[in-house]
Amino acid sequence: MRPTATVCWLWQALLGALMVLGVLTLLIALSHQPIGASYRIMLQGAIGLPPGEQVSPLDAWDGTLHDMTLLLLTGLSVAVALQAGLFNIGAAGQLLMGALVAAWLGTQPDIPRGLHLPLALVMGALAGACWALIPALLKVGRGAHEVITTIMFNYIALYLTHWLVVDYLKDPSGAAPQTAPVLASAQLPALGNFSLTSWGFVLAILMALGLWALLYRTVWGYELRATGANRDAADAAGIPTRRHLIGAMLISGALAGLAGAVEVCGMQYRFFEGFPSEYGFDGIAVALMGANHPAWTILSAFVLSALRNGTYNLHVITGAPKEIAIVVQAVLILYVAALRLRRGRLEG
Amino acid sequence: MGEVFDLQLVNTALRQATPLILAALGGLLSERTGVINIGLEGKILMGAFAGAYGALLTGSPWVGLAGAILVGLLLALVHAVATQEFRTDHVVSGVAINLLALGLSTYLFRQLILPREERGESSVVQGFAPFQADWLQRLPLLGALLKDQTWLVLFAMVLPFGLFWLLNHTRWGLRVYAVGNDAIKARTMGVPVKQIRYLGVLLSGVLASMAGAFLTLASADQFRENMSAGRGFIALAALIFGRWHPLGAAAAAFGFGFFEALQMRLQGQPLFGMQLPTDLLLMLPYLLTVVALAGSFGRMKPPADLGNP
Repeated sequence: MRPTATVCWLWQALLGALMVLGVLTLLIALSHQPIGASYRIMLQGAIGLPPGEQVSPLDAWDGTLHDMTLLLLTGLSVAVALQAGLFNIGAAGQLLMGALVAAWLGTQPDIPRGLHLPLALVMGALAGACWALIPALLKVGRGAHEVITTIMFNYIALYLTHWLVVDYLKDPSGAAPQTAPVLASAQLPALGNFSLTSWGFVLAILMALGLWALLYRTVWGYELRATGANRDAADAAGIPTRRHLIGAMLISGALAGLAGAVEVCGMQYRFFEGFPSEYGFDGIAVALMGANHPAWTILSAFVLSALRNGTYNLHVITGAPKEIAIVVQAVLILYVAALRLRRGRLEG
Repeated sequence: MGEVFDLQLVNTALRQATPLILAALGGLLSERTGVINIGLEGKILMGAFAGAYGALLTGSPWVGLAGAILVGLLLALVHAVATQEFRTDHVVSGVAINLLALGLSTYLFRQLILPREERGESSVVQGFAPFQADWLQRLPLLGALLKDQTWLVLFAMVLPFGLFWLLNHTRWGLRVYAVGNDAIKARTMGVPVKQIRYLGVLLSGVLASMAGAFLTLASADQFRENMSAGRGFIALAALIFGRWHPLGAAAAAFGFGFFEALQMRLQGQPLFGMQLPTDLLLMLPYLLTVVALAGSFGRMKPPADLGNP
C-alpha cells in the first residue's frame, strides 16, 4: 500500500471514530446523563474495564462475545455475497430458517450422541443455504433483483416459521408458542466460565479464517471476487459468473443459517415466537465496516458488539434508551458507504 | 359466506390500504427517476412518530401532519444527498435510513412520550375526524366505503389518478421518464437530472411520511415502537407488483390491504370450509411479489436506469 493511501485511510478512520464519538456524546447528553460517567458505564458493560461493581468483567465479556459470535457469522454472510457483487438483505430470514431446523433436529431423540450436534448445525446451515438459493436462482435465471427477493423472503420466513412453530412444532407440554428444548446431546458446550458464549464463538472465528482462505487463497475465490468486481469483464475472461453468483449466495445463506443454529444450540436451546432475527440486518453494518474482508469483519463484529453491550449496560443502569446503539450504527453505515464509493469502487 | 364478504370488509380494506397506497406511490416517484428507495419503512415510522408527537404537543392533527411531512423531507434529503452527491449505493443508504428511523423514533418515544405516560398524562392523539357530511353518507357506493373514514383515505383514492395524469401528460412527467430510463441521454438533452431526482426522492419522503402520519392520526391514535411493522416493505412489494405504474401500484396496495382486512375479519374462522392459517394470508403479498418477479405472468420492467448513479 502506498504511504499516501495509508495516510488517507488513517484520516478517514479517525474522522469516522470522531463522528461516532460525537453522535454518541450528543445522544447521551440528550438523555440527560453525565457524559464521563456514561462512557465509563458503557466501557464496563462492553469489556469490563475499568472494573466496576455493577458488572463483573466475566459477564461483560460474556455478553460481548455472545453477540459478536452472531454478528460475525451474519457479517461474513453479507460480506461473501457482496464480494460476488450481490446484496443479501435476507440474512434475517436465512437465520430464522436455520434456527428452526436446528431446533427441530435438536429435539429428535433417536440421533446418535456424537452425531446430534454436528447434524443440527450442518442442517441449520443447509436450511439457510436453501433459503438463499431461490433468490440466487431468480437472479441468475430471471434477472430478479436479489435485494427485493431477499427482503420478501425475510417476511416469508418470518410467517412460515411462526406458522410451523405455532401449529406443528410447539412444545406440547406448554402453552407458549415455542419448541421443546433441544436435548443435551445437541447443545453447544459453554466456552470456559461463560454462560451465554458457547463454542460457537470459536466456530465463528474458524469460519472467518476459512472464508479468508477460500476467497484469497483459491482460484475459486479469485474468480468469485472477479465476478463481484466487474461481472462483464469476468464473463469475457471466461469465468462462469452465474455459477459463482449462486455459490456465493449458498455460502452466504449457510453462514446466516449457521448463526441461527448456533444461537439455538449454544444459548436459547429452543426456537420461539419472536426469535431474534435482527442480527441478520446488523450483519450488513458489520460487513460494510469490515470492507467485506473476513479479517476486518472479525474486528468490526467486535466493535459493534461492544457498542451494543455498552449501551445496553447504560440502559440497565441509568435507564437511557438502548436504541442509541442503533442510531450510531445507522450513522456508521452511511459514513462508510459514502466513503467507499467516493474512492470509486462500486459494489452491487 | 355473506358474513365474511360485505361492504364493511371493503371499507376496512380501504383503511388498511391507505398507508400502503401512499407509501407505494411515494416509492414510485423515487424509483421512476432511477433512485432505488428501500427506506420507505423508515420514513413511515418517523412520520408516525412526528405526527403523533406534533399532535400531542399542539392538539392539532394538522400540525402533526406538517411535522410528519417535515421529518419525511429530512430523511429523504439524507437519501438524496447520499445517493446524488456522495454516490452511495442506493440500497445501503436505504438500509441505513431504515435503521436510523427505527433507532431515532424509539429513542425519541422513550425520551418524549413515555415520560408523559409515566406522569399519568394521556398519550392518545387528537386525530383527524371522520367525514360527517350527511350527503356523503347517502351516496350509493361511496357512502359505505367512506363511512367513518378520514380525508386521507379519499386522498389516497384520488392520488393514483392524479399521478397517472401528471406522469403521462406533463413536461415533468416526460422528464421523469427520461431520467429514469437513461440518465446520461437525458443529461445530454439538457434535462436537469439531479433536480428531477431530488424532487422525486423528496416527494417520496412526503408521501411515505404521510402514510406514517395516517397510522397515528387516523388509525391507531397512539405511537408505539416500530409500529410501521413492515408496511414500507409491503408498499415496496405493491410498487413492484404494480409494475412501477401508479394505477397498478395502487391496485396492488389495495389488494394487499384487502388481505390484511380479510385476515382481521376471519381471525381463525374457516373460509370456504377451509381453515386458513393467518400466517399464510399475511405471507401472501410477499409470495405474490416473488412470483411476479420470477416472471410467471409477464416480465416486470423496472425503470431501465434504476440504481445507476
